[in-house]
Amino acid sequence: MRIGLGHGSGGRQSQELVQALLGPFYERGIGPELEDSALLPGGYAMTVDGFTVSPRVFPGGDIGHLCVCGCVNDLAVRGAAPDFLGIGLIIEEGFPTEELSLYMESAARTCSSLGMRLAAGDTKVVPSGAVDGVYFSGTAFGKLRRDTPLQATNIRVGDSLIVSGPIGRHGAAIAASRFNLSVSDLESDCAPLWPALEPLLAVDGLRCMRDCTRGGLGAVLCEWGEATGKHLSLEEASIPIDDRVRSLCDVLGFDPLYMACEGCIIAACEPSEATTVLQLLSASPLCAEAALIGEVTDGEPEGMVSMRTYIGGERLVDMPFGELLPRIC
Amino acid sequence: MCLAVPHVITEVLGENRAIAAAGAVATEIRTDLVNSPALGDVVLVHAGFAIEKLAPSESEELLGLWEEIRRLAGEPQGHGARIK
Amino acid sequence: MGGDQKVGRRAARTWGSNKMTSFVAEASRALRRIISSPISVMEVCGTHTVSIFRSGIRSLLPPELRLVSGPGCPVCVTDQGEIDCALSLLDSGVVLAAYGDMFRVPGKSGSLASRREMGFDARVVTSALDLIEIALESPSREVVFLAVGFETTAPATAALLLEASQRRIHNLSVLSFHKCTPPALAALSSDPELKLSGFLLPGHVSVILGHEPFRFLADDGGLPAVIAGFDPEQIMAGLVEIALQHQRGEARLGSVYGRAVRPGGNDKARSLMDRVFVRRDSCWRGLGPLADSGMALREEYSEFDAERRFSLAPVRGTPPHGCKCGEVLTGRIFPPECALFGTGCTPASPAGPCMVSAEGACGAFFRFYRRNGGSRCV
Repeated sequence: MRIGLGHGSGGRQSQELVQALLGPFYERGIGPELEDSALLPGGYAMTVDGFTVSPRVFPGGDIGHLCVCGCVNDLAVRGAAPDFLGIGLIIEEGFPTEELSLYMESAARTCSSLGMRLAAGDTKVVPSGAVDGVYFSGTAFGKLRRDTPLQATNIRVGDSLIVSGPIGRHGAAIAASRFNLSVSDLESDCAPLWPALEPLLAVDGLRCMRDCTRGGLGAVLCEWGEATGKHLSLEEASIPIDDRVRSLCDVLGFDPLYMACEGCIIAACEPSEATTVLQLLSASPLCAEAALIGEVTDGEPEGMVSMRTYIGGERLVDMPFGELLPRIC
Repeated sequence: MCLAVPHVITEVLGENRAIAAAGAVATEIRTDLVNSPALGDVVLVHAGFAIEKLAPSESEELLGLWEEIRRLAGEPQGHGARIK
Repeated sequence: MGGDQKVGRRAARTWGSNKMTSFVAEASRALRRIISSPISVMEVCGTHTVSIFRSGIRSLLPPELRLVSGPGCPVCVTDQGEIDCALSLLDSGVVLAAYGDMFRVPGKSGSLASRREMGFDARVVTSALDLIEIALESPSREVVFLAVGFETTAPATAALLLEASQRRIHNLSVLSFHKCTPPALAALSSDPELKLSGFLLPGHVSVILGHEPFRFLADDGGLPAVIAGFDPEQIMAGLVEIALQHQRGEARLGSVYGRAVRPGGNDKARSLMDRVFVRRDSCWRGLGPLADSGMALREEYSEFDAERRFSLAPVRGTPPHGCKCGEVLTGRIFPPECALFGTGCTPASPAGPCMVSAEGACGAFFRFYRRNGGSRCV
């Protein structure tokens, strides 16, 4: 079997890759699988995240800023502060240093805005053509700011599902660039969410959170369904989607549920705390459109996600498969 | 077998090209398949081509059918949706 | 729901509007009042199949209304031999470009997507005209467009060929597996085993062809045949019209998509197709060989015909053992009734194109409707 682009797109294939191929390499007991970062003994969380985005500069950010945001958000959703970051660079021979400096400055600015310290780095240069320009890899550590762990296995029947903002903006911004579509003011939602999420950690009834990156909101919810064996029920009309993202998805034949986000999280919490979680999130400008989008039920089919559609019908939401391909049919 | 999305023509570029917008998305389209595309025309776009101009309003046939549907539907009862 | 809605909002999908929701609810109640005994309607078009699932319409229909998939998925009906032809070209080192829909369709061994992973140059395009730029960028390489689709899509390929010819772009050619819709419907409607009460006809193919090529379904076949667009209100209106005709014992060609479909269709698009293409026999997965159902390049464009340039001869493929795409495409069975469904055939490892195509019936059932255990389906 060969690794394909689909294995990197955050859906079923990515899940299979992580579980089947890499699973044996991770010592059991460090943390549950399929969470965004690992909880280490001693009260820290750790994450590793790679960034190969093309174009490297996109509306709303660049690869340096994205590297920091991705790592910060992976830590934040497990309840860990953005304390330390190490960046590894794999650079194509011939790459201009000015451009590299641009990205590192961008990353450093984002770090300093959060008090995150750039603690380590590494650079490797590879022959021309071996990588596309430059790839970033981030390794981040942060102290846990919550006593009880946030993890999918905390989820219970009746829990509320809350999304922190409009979905799919990053994927849409990248797709617009890739397929030569001009979408005015469409920017990636790439943002470090620690300041917005830190207040939530004091909410006892918060069960878990996930960063909705590749595969979008849909992939994360399907993973929660499979991890917990419970049924997740969504209300389509409640899911915040920017009109620009919606138009782009219409034109290219994409489903917004599966478009990548880089500044959007999904949280599960005890239903009595849903209003509090919404209030705390929407106090931050980054999560002003946070919304309650569904709940965990004991309905059927178990382990799957269903959605009440705009027109009052019902359908399943399945795990996306493979890279998103534009379609004409 | 055909995804086609309504777009408004915002700029005619030449004999067979135009800029058209679907919501906030603007794209260059081909207009070889429609007659005299003009600014403000609403067209159905499929695979980068305008395949037809959309008429400004619904057809008489459809309007009549809606009336019939409303008459038949009467008052709402308790039919729920279920996944089938 | 009148035409005075701004297109911007409409394109941004006003499904959330209360008007659309209440119209669909009314249409659903109307269907329950009209339909008193089981009826089967064929949704010819794959885009209808997916819209019906994705919008949740399927869950709002009365159980007596049985919706059956038809052969209107150009990806699904592309014969395996045709895909293998395209893959062999790719293996020989050409740049092969196709719409995204084609990328994961399995041939005998692999797909465009898997070939790309192995380093072959397969590219996704969103418009046939993208091929001009690709060919101009790589003048020393052969660039081929894998052209699949029905009459909605073929005019774009015709425009590409005209432009390539005018601009003398010699490294460009087209592998045409375009097919024509009416012959497939004729084959189905003359099948004595297929018991249908009506046809929901493809809105956008009708934009090009108009009403006439489908009239035989009503006049000769004696069944209601209604052209509809793809949003929920269009689909529900189309189904109500079919149900009403059935109840009244009528059989007419109707259309609820008058905003887009002129009775005479788009003659400009048809002339363009006629200029470039000539009909030939073509093999359809599920239906087998159908006379005059495919589009080949005319003699004067033979220079741009990839089949001639590369001496290709598609061999009719044999579907994998147990694959029942053919029966699904002709409405004989529902996807879950295929023994491979969900086990030997999933989106992750599809046996046939109906599972992998974005609008294949099997893929739609699997993604939107699949249940753990149980084979009940409507």
